[in-house]
Amino acid sequence: MIDILILFIAASLLLYVLLGGSDFGAGIVELLPAGRFRESQKQVINRAMGPVWEANHMWLILIVVILFMGFPAIFTTLMTALHLPTLALLVGIVVRGAVFTFRHYDAIQEPRSQRVYTWLFGLSSLWTALWLGIIAASLNRGIINPATREVWGAWFAPWWGLYPLAVGVFVACIYAFLASIYLVGETEEPELKRRFVRLAAWFNGLVVLSGGFVFLASLTERESLATTFLRNPLNLAVVALATLLFIVLWVFVAQRRTMLTRIVASGQVALILLGWYVLYAPNALITAVGPLNFYSEAAPPATLRQLVIALLVGGIFIFPSLYYLFRVFKMSHRTDSSRSGRG
Amino acid sequence: MDNLVAARATMAFSLGFHIIFAAVGMTMPFLMSAAHCLYLRKKDPAYLELTKLWMKGVAILFAVGAVSGTVLSFELGLLWPGFMVHAGPIIGMPFSWEGTAFFLEAIAIGLFLYGWNRMNPWVHWATGLAVGVTGFTSGIFVVAANGWMNAPAGFDWVDGVARNIDPVKAMFNRAWPHQSLHMQLAALQAVGLAVGGIHAWLWLHGRAPDLNLKALRIAMVLGAGASIIQPFAGHFAGESVARLQPVKLAAIEGHFETSRHAPLTLGGLPDVETRTMRWGIPVPGLLSLLAHRDADAEVIGLDRVPREDWPPVLITHVAFQLMVAIGSALALVGVLWFWFQRRGRFPRWFLWVLAVCAPLGIIAIEAGWVVTEVGRQPWIIYGIVRTKDAVTPVPGMGYHFGLFLALYLALATTTIWLFHRQIQALQKKFGG
Ligand code: HDD
Ligand code: HEM
Ligand code: HEM
Repeated sequence: MIDILILFIAASLLLYVLLGGSDFGAGIVELLPAGRFRESQKQVINRAMGPVWEANHMWLILIVVILFMGFPAIFTTLMTALHLPTLALLVGIVVRGAVFTFRHYDAIQEPRSQRVYTWLFGLSSLWTALWLGIIAASLNRGIINPATREVWGAWFAPWWGLYPLAVGVFVACIYAFLASIYLVGETEEPELKRRFVRLAAWFNGLVVLSGGFVFLASLTERESLATTFLRNPLNLAVVALATLLFIVLWVFVAQRRTMLTRIVASGQVALILLGWYVLYAPNALITAVGPLNFYSEAAPPATLRQLVIALLVGGIFIFPSLYYLFRVFKMSHRTDSSRSGRG
Repeated sequence: MDNLVAARATMAFSLGFHIIFAAVGMTMPFLMSAAHCLYLRKKDPAYLELTKLWMKGVAILFAVGAVSGTVLSFELGLLWPGFMVHAGPIIGMPFSWEGTAFFLEAIAIGLFLYGWNRMNPWVHWATGLAVGVTGFTSGIFVVAANGWMNAPAGFDWVDGVARNIDPVKAMFNRAWPHQSLHMQLAALQAVGLAVGGIHAWLWLHGRAPDLNLKALRIAMVLGAGASIIQPFAGHFAGESVARLQPVKLAAIEGHFETSRHAPLTLGGLPDVETRTMRWGIPVPGLLSLLAHRDADAEVIGLDRVPREDWPPVLITHVAFQLMVAIGSALALVGVLWFWFQRRGRFPRWFLWVLAVCAPLGIIAIEAGWVVTEVGRQPWIIYGIVRTKDAVTPVPGMGYHFGLFLALYLALATTTIWLFHRQIQALQKKFGG
């Protein structure tokens, strides 16, 4: 039971990063100067994200529900110690979702209000990505201390520092990288395609740089990533593989193999996440008083059984519908650009 | 601000905000699908216009509903860790089914909003209907969680820990039937009337009269229909509360002393100091009759529990009076609607009445939740865990409240502004 649930959490997080993440990445892309591409880029992003962003966002809700039903102690410890970054994350989620929709459905499309929407959309996307990274980094630092009530130690120290910030930047770069790669296949316009390829290349470089920065920043932690990695050679292999795949990726980009580039880029991010899972599994959190792991913190078996049933039965409905959604919007060839949601 | 008070205010405000959009998400898709169906069968372009108009409303409101719902699922842990640590495993089940329903809803809405000309028209229509069905289902599930807080079931409470957890029993708790019936009707009623009222107002101002009359007729099927049934569902809720939470009922009615042949007080304000009802009109025996179907039955009063276990009596009572007053008025409006419909024409004054009634259903929903939630105090899990023991230890909740107050007020303002712009655009198209 517990293994199935861990699998569901891991898979949901992966899908959230790949699908939801690229939606945030699109916001980050729109934050950059775009010159004459401003308008056409916006149209492409509206069309690409519009049908799927709410479904992509659901992976996060699924994680929360699995956590609070199946692993309540982990959920409440997290929500207590990381109260502030979670709050920041929520503000970003609220603003991003609302503004993205407002921008598209504003009945009067005028440059001034559209500019404000776009700006807020981009800023909230970047903001949310940063905080997700900060939260992820804080899980395993060994600073969370459920026993303390001292203001700094209890509510700030768990997520404060160079390392969480570095992970936040890393996540933002990954999101923007994924978005750029995915967006290449969303337009038929050659110049815009070239722009997205160029952006992908830039963000590719930034992913590598910020990844290195994460390693450096971890030197300020109790245990640096280098030490952790050396203990676990499998991880080193995984990260090396992810980096090597960049070569494959750019071969495919050069050959304009849209689907393959998407798969390879997703695979790279999956490997990075996998490396992170392997590093700490089966611990969900490492606190100052020791690790909290999924096996010891699980709810009673009767609860887990119902949760697994709900997930499996739900999956029977959800996966085919999701497949249909993506088939309709992502796999059919787009022949004209007038088919936007405003009909 | 006191931390507990701030946390409660935050929860109340976030839920009170979310429920408006949730109600819309459970009802508007049905209205939209009805218009869409009429278009597909009659090919009358006015219905297509209407479908698209409502679709834009759904799209905007759904997004706000989705993000405010996300906030709620986190807030259960952010604000009430002492609640979730017990309640999660017991009552997570309806949330997990709710999550499934939401997932399908999010997929369906993507397909519907962007699927024009991409699918078979009837398949496309079905995805719109699916938005309504899944939204409605998820509403039923989430109310099970709230029902459990009112009528805890499916565990044994031993030394402050829940044992022998049975999530199925917890989900099928005894408050679920009346609460979900009443809530789902409330959503249909409130949103049906709100949509109908807005179109009545637009009609009165001479804007696109044909379109607005068509819209009004569709919306009022739900609005007026549910309004007529609602008092019965409300009465059923009252009877169940008398059985499951007698203290809440006592607070609702300002019933201080346990007594037989208990009176129902119309209007009036409870005074907790003197333990009396002031300025009300008592109807002897009616409370006993309504609560227990026997005018001489004993109705438990607030005197049965210690003073510190009383819910805030004044708030609960006033909110209840407001809900019932609105419910009774709306039932009358519902009856009138069907009467005028049979006669084939609606007098102008009645359309004004409908326009005035537009916000009333929503107000009744808010009042109803205040009754349920404030009336349950001081308990977060009725009779088991106190709200003050469940609150987060994180200090400074006042800032948290202020932040969300500002954020949601900004969202609400923008949403209203966007609707104003939709109407402006409509006006440009049709003149008037
Ligand atoms: C359109 C909205 C609306 C209208 C017109 C009414 N209600 Fe209501 N009421 C609700 C919307 C609502 C609600 C928001 O949906 C509540 C809150 C919790 C719940 O389950 O339903 C509720 C709760 C609620 C409760 C408390 C249930 C509990 O705590 O378990 C009672 C006793 C009533 N109602 C009774 C009535 C009566 C006698 C009405 C007479 C007409 C009435 N309501 C009209
Ligand atoms: C959406 C409709 C709802 C509204 C408008 C609503 C309203 C409120 C209000 C007014 C309070 C504050 C009561 C007080 O502190 O005096 C409150 C508290 C609370 N509600 Fe609800 N409620 C709703 C549904 C739910 C549901 C479905 C749950 C499911 C679990 C829930 C869980 C809570 C919790 C945990 C608290 C805080 C503890 C407490 O005050 O008892 N509510 N809500
Ligand atoms: C503690 C209580 C609640 C929680 C944790 C919660 C959670 C959520 C979440 C996570 C979503 C977003 C789903 C998406 O992304 O599509 C959502 C939306 C929704 N919720 Fe809630 N909810 C609560 C209370 C309620 C209540 C009381 C109702 C109605 C009875 C309700 C009905 C809906 C509906 C219909 C939606 C669909 C979105 C929309 O139509 O705008 N929720 N909720």
